[in-house]
Amino acid sequence: MRRGLALLLLLGLAACAQMVTTEPARLEPVGATEAPTVITVRDKVDILLDTRFSRTLLAGTRWRKVGRLAQGDVFRPVDGVFSIEGRQVHEAYLVISGASLRGFYLPGEANYSPLVPPLTLNLGDPR
Amino acid sequence: MTVPARFRLVALLAIAAVVTGCATGPKFSETSASMPAVKAGDGRIFFYRSNSMLGAAIQPDVRLNGEVVGPSKPGGYFYVDRPAGAYSAATSTETEKTVSFRLDAGENKYIKMTPGFGVVVGRMVLSVEPAQTAQTELATMSYVGMAKK
Repeated sequence: MRRGLALLLLLGLAACAQMVTTEPARLEPVGATEAPTVITVRDKVDILLDTRFSRTLLAGTRWRKVGRLAQGDVFRPVDGVFSIEGRQVHEAYLVISGASLRGFYLPGEANYSPLVPPLTLNLGDPR
Repeated sequence: MTVPARFRLVALLAIAAVVTGCATGPKFSETSASMPAVKAGDGRIFFYRSNSMLGAAIQPDVRLNGEVVGPSKPGGYFYVDRPAGAYSAATSTETEKTVSFRLDAGENKYIKMTPGFGVVVGRMVLSVEPAQTAQTELATMSYVGMAKK
């Protein structure tokens, strides 16, 4: 009986994942005359989201600058796709200021999701 | 009827129920070369579901921005072409697990459906997958939809 209740409670908690924190964001796209910028994540980075879900940026993954927000420059994967997860799943681009991963731009809904605390990335020279 | 015979009958019925619920259309590997081209300004969204026995009886509709676009069947895939823009996909089992994404013109997006179980009902967890992973998984899957707008 107790085990059954514990299992039910666990299932209930699992079903109540937190929503990803978001705020509206207006992406300023990279200008047509701006030189393309690609960065490389040199070291693997594990990201723990405030929803308790985690994501990993693998070493060697490349990201292309597609625009900027007030919080930083916005990069999407060159090959592949990246997402963050809470109660919902959201395709996500990285928002980077200097070498600091500040959060994520969610292109499917034009929102920004902050990463707290920010993470420092080891990035290759932009080219 | 003896107990073993009854057990065999129940097992056969269960297998038949699962098999008849699985996708049986042409395989992706046979049809991908003959898929129609995407028109200018549109992208293509593939939906697919692994051929797992887990939750095989759960076969909800798939919704894209609220519109039903096809079924979720084990081992099945379908695709729709849509103008570039922002999209949200979900299944009709419950509203909790949606996936939001951006579709660019000429881009292919791959949405995978994986059965999971909520507290009350079974559900589909949707995820957006890299093209390389998705195309490997799609190879053995069967078409279950209509390529229409």
